[in-house]
Amino acid sequence: MAAFSSMHCPPPYSSSINGGKNRSFIFSASPRFSVPAKAKVFVQSPGNSHQNAVLMQDGAVAAKVSPVEKETPIEKLKGDLLSVTSSKEWDEETGFDINENESTVSIMVVGASGDLAKKKIFPALFALYYEGCLPKHFTIYGYARSKMTDAELRNMVSKTLTCRIDKRENCGEKMDEFLKRCFYHSGQYDSEENFAQLDKKLKEHEGGRVSNRLFYLSIPPNIFINAVKCASMSASSGNGWTRVIVEKPFGRDSESSAALTKALKQYLNEDQIFRIDHYLGKELVENLSVLRFSNLIFEPLWSRQFIRNVQLIFSEDFGTEGRGGYFDHYGIIRDIMQNHLLQILALFAMETPVSLDAEDIRNEKVKVLRSMRPLQLEDVVIGQYKSHTKGGVTYPAYTDDKTVPKDSLTPTFAAAALFIDNARWDGVPFLMKAGKALHNKRAEIRVQFRHVPGNLYNRKFGTDLDQATNELVIRVQPDEAIYLKINNKVPGLGMRLDRSNLNLHYAARYSKEIPDAYERLLLDAIEGERRLFIRSDELDAAWSLFTPVLAELEEKKIIPEYYPYGSRGPVGAHYLAARYNVRWGDLGVEQSA
Amino acid sequence: MAAPITPCSSPSSSSSLAFPSEFNLCKPRNCCFSNWVSHVCPRIRTRTHFQIKTSNGHPLNAVSMQGGMDGSPLAKGINPEKEEDFFIDISDGEEAHSTLSITVVGASGDLAKKKIFPALFALYYEDWLPENFVIFGYARTKLTDEELRNMISRTLTCRIDKRANCEDKMEQFLKRCFYHSGEYSSEEHFAELDNKLKEKEAGKRSNRLFYLSIPPNIFVDVVRCASRKASSAKGWTRVIVEKPFGRDSESSAELTRCLKKYLTEEQIFRIDHYLGKELVENLSVLRFSNLVFEPLWSRNYIRNVQFIFSEDFGTEGRGGYFDNYGIIRDIMQNHLLQILALFAMETPVSLDAEDIRNEKVKVLRSMKPLELEDVIIGQYKGHNKGGRTYPGYTDDSTVPSNSITPTFAAAALFINNARWDGVPFLMKAGKALHRKRAEIRVQFRHVPGNLYKRNFGTDLDKATNELVLRVQPDEAIYLKINNKVPGLGMRLDRSDLNLLYRARYPREIPDAYERLLLDAIAGERRLFIRSDELDAAWSLFTPLLKELEAKKISPELYPYGSRGPVGAHYLAAKYNVRWGDLGGDDD
Repeated sequence: MAAFSSMHCPPPYSSSINGGKNRSFIFSASPRFSVPAKAKVFVQSPGNSHQNAVLMQDGAVAAKVSPVEKETPIEKLKGDLLSVTSSKEWDEETGFDINENESTVSIMVVGASGDLAKKKIFPALFALYYEGCLPKHFTIYGYARSKMTDAELRNMVSKTLTCRIDKRENCGEKMDEFLKRCFYHSGQYDSEENFAQLDKKLKEHEGGRVSNRLFYLSIPPNIFINAVKCASMSASSGNGWTRVIVEKPFGRDSESSAALTKALKQYLNEDQIFRIDHYLGKELVENLSVLRFSNLIFEPLWSRQFIRNVQLIFSEDFGTEGRGGYFDHYGIIRDIMQNHLLQILALFAMETPVSLDAEDIRNEKVKVLRSMRPLQLEDVVIGQYKSHTKGGVTYPAYTDDKTVPKDSLTPTFAAAALFIDNARWDGVPFLMKAGKALHNKRAEIRVQFRHVPGNLYNRKFGTDLDQATNELVIRVQPDEAIYLKINNKVPGLGMRLDRSNLNLHYAARYSKEIPDAYERLLLDAIEGERRLFIRSDELDAAWSLFTPVLAELEEKKIIPEYYPYGSRGPVGAHYLAARYNVRWGDLGVEQSA
Repeated sequence: MAAPITPCSSPSSSSSLAFPSEFNLCKPRNCCFSNWVSHVCPRIRTRTHFQIKTSNGHPLNAVSMQGGMDGSPLAKGINPEKEEDFFIDISDGEEAHSTLSITVVGASGDLAKKKIFPALFALYYEDWLPENFVIFGYARTKLTDEELRNMISRTLTCRIDKRANCEDKMEQFLKRCFYHSGEYSSEEHFAELDNKLKEKEAGKRSNRLFYLSIPPNIFVDVVRCASRKASSAKGWTRVIVEKPFGRDSESSAELTRCLKKYLTEEQIFRIDHYLGKELVENLSVLRFSNLVFEPLWSRNYIRNVQFIFSEDFGTEGRGGYFDNYGIIRDIMQNHLLQILALFAMETPVSLDAEDIRNEKVKVLRSMKPLELEDVIIGQYKGHNKGGRTYPGYTDDSTVPSNSITPTFAAAALFINNARWDGVPFLMKAGKALHRKRAEIRVQFRHVPGNLYKRNFGTDLDKATNELVLRVQPDEAIYLKINNKVPGLGMRLDRSDLNLLYRARYPREIPDAYERLLLDAIAGERRLFIRSDELDAAWSLFTPLLKELEAKKISPELYPYGSRGPVGAHYLAAKYNVRWGDLGGDDD
């Protein structure tokens, strides 16, 4: 697996052939991140109730010894993982090239007519195809209930395909070629029969080669299990791997999530399940570990000794806009905080992993989550946007959305203070803030450093330098950037200090378009790279932090603080921050800078 | 051959008669910045003006200086002025009763025309000079006031962003400029100057600043004459001197001894104009007002530090002075070493001049004197490029044709203290190189147990973090970090976290001389070199300089406009260092 992807994608070994000028630096994801067999073995517990985090981690360690015979014969054959486990991975993988020509990948987008499929999945697949990241033999199948011909699907898909700005040549041609590989199969999500028909069609395309199959479930959560059951029973690959990508929501609390995991595991092994959190595929989230672990200058500062607080901020500048039905059932805490922001937090705060292997990284993330205190009600502020008229335009309130109940208390904004009770982070507030219908669209990580002890410049100057502490900002979107706010002397006579930025603005430095998170994640799933996917025990640990407060919020029917559409959100967030001696970095006087 | 310093046979005068160096001074008229601002004056704590009236004229060494600071009853007793009320006392009303006279001795020289008068004008324009001030040019040439004004006016410019009233302001400024012609060694002529000054001062409390823009061999004469005949009677008198301060420990000590016959330590303002550069000033701000740098500022994290100075031209017919000194004395022993001391010093007790200079002296005194094997010297030779011929150093008609004076030098220095033990501090300075540049480069260690190293082809040890402070041109601060190249897969590269001054601060950055003149007027000594610092600096370089000259070490020749002798690379390699400015990814 790894082998073929590295062949097609920016290739690690064939630099001269490709002639790319920086190629010597390049490695596609897989060869570096060998996925050891342990990853799959410890989850081989079908029928078990969901495993808790402790077992998982122990399992992971013990699993090294676990024999491979536990694996399904299917996987044994062309074990994507087996090959990679070898310590002599590179040599062996190159050897795979021969087999690679014989194997195929079929990607089934289940729920092909849905919004996500149209907007994200097909375009991401096309981008991968364009960049040469897909294997030679691949087929894409749309699956949904609507009756459609292949041509109709292609027509639908083609409307959302675009080429990268810097790669326009042959775009039309490439699109045609890509669309020729796209097919459609209409069926019910709970019909094994229909999936069996799909299986037949797939076999036709696979033409007897080793076949690998990736199912992307882009469907509502209530039919997850049915689709998984049918796919696994009737459309699993006979001689290659079968993987399933699922998207949030993964339940709505600890119990429902555990039930979902348990149900999935009736039909799939842990290592067949790829739980996507697309924030983990964002460029700057990926870069977080690089920054920390490949630079000397950050890691010494990365603890309670120097960091005063960390802020994880997400905002959207629009509301539910008529699509509040799904959202109302979940609310912003489940939709953004419990998954996206918490995942980033775990990556940010984890200890140095033993290696960059998926299991090592996920082990460290789980440790962070398990060191955290469950969130308390008093450490949460919730809000809901109300209508607002500005410049003659009236923006609707959340409850004006027809798909939302009039008396809904669902939060569209939340701020929370979390704590990690370990040696590194004891006492450091990790603040999260997420909201819809705010004044800007933004996702960023802000690290505020402590004040300078015994600051020489404090005494003599009017300003309180304690408020002008250093701050590291990683802006995930839009306009990816990293900057470090420092105190600096204003050039000129006299001594005037101000805060300026040491700056890395991606648009200025890197002219290439940054790939969408879905491209990276799809590629990783094809390659079997699990680093950016959520393991069951991580999911459990994440839910156990949020479930009590979510239950309490709902039980006590806590009324959200209302804030005008397009505003900066409820002021309650400031008071929450003030309680922990924090000041939101994004709402300062020097706006956003 | 030693610089001809007139031996100071002190004629009769009781050397304990030092000038009353009282403070009184510049509250710039418009101290009107808001809270973030605090300009020079309020920073100055008058702790700087206790007087050490050394009657014996011996230079004070570091130990006694530092001891004197804290314990000496002298420090407390002598000067009646109090710290706290100092500035409050100088109300605008009082300022009206005092005047400032600035005498530029050597007014017709190059430095005066190019730097001193323009700097004074800039200060005037920006309202930093006190209300009552006069400027006197003093030189041997016969000139009228009008002629002086005419000469000066050609070099005055207004800041780009402040062109309004420029002409008016120039006129007004020139009206305050006068000229007095006289010999540098004539007490009589200085007495005449004194008369003229008194006229202008009109009975007000008078402060006098002498700027000696003259060759070193007449320093002492001028100081003698000025101090005897043209000192202020009831204000302070200060003297600014420029390098060279001798050419080795002995001559420097002799110069200091002679100056101290006529001046107290605190009347002497030894200028090192590199200390007035914006980014050198900012060095302490960066270190001490940011949390993120100080934890990294030691041998634990810093692998080496590089101080780099290069000019893209040679002596160009003015090698006479240079040939007697060479690049080590001209750049390294003063400018680069001063920056090194600022860079490496411990946190001072306060930002007071004495506290900072105490720390700098400690660094210098913790250093090993430079060894011959840790130095590379070079001299540029003629070079043909693109049809043009660039002359060799010895082609300069003012330079002896067999000169072995170095025009390039690289050196490795070490500070034997707890913070810096084993960290190489590399210096490099040269003329006629491929570009003009002054910068500080801090190379950090590699990441211990780097997770990314194993998996990537590149040697990440070569891609360590680096902090660069570019002093000139194009002032900038940037921090090289390893970063993931956006895109699928995992590719790392070095990119910069960056602060380019031009982009962030559109205002023109003032010339170093402006800052230093202002500080001298304000009595702020932070950026001037104390005698004990000077001694310590010389004692690091003197043995080496003597050895170079005694052994007549030939410099490695390098072509005009090149990157300098390759020997510099081997010197760096010896200490496992790679010059940051000559890497593959240029700067």
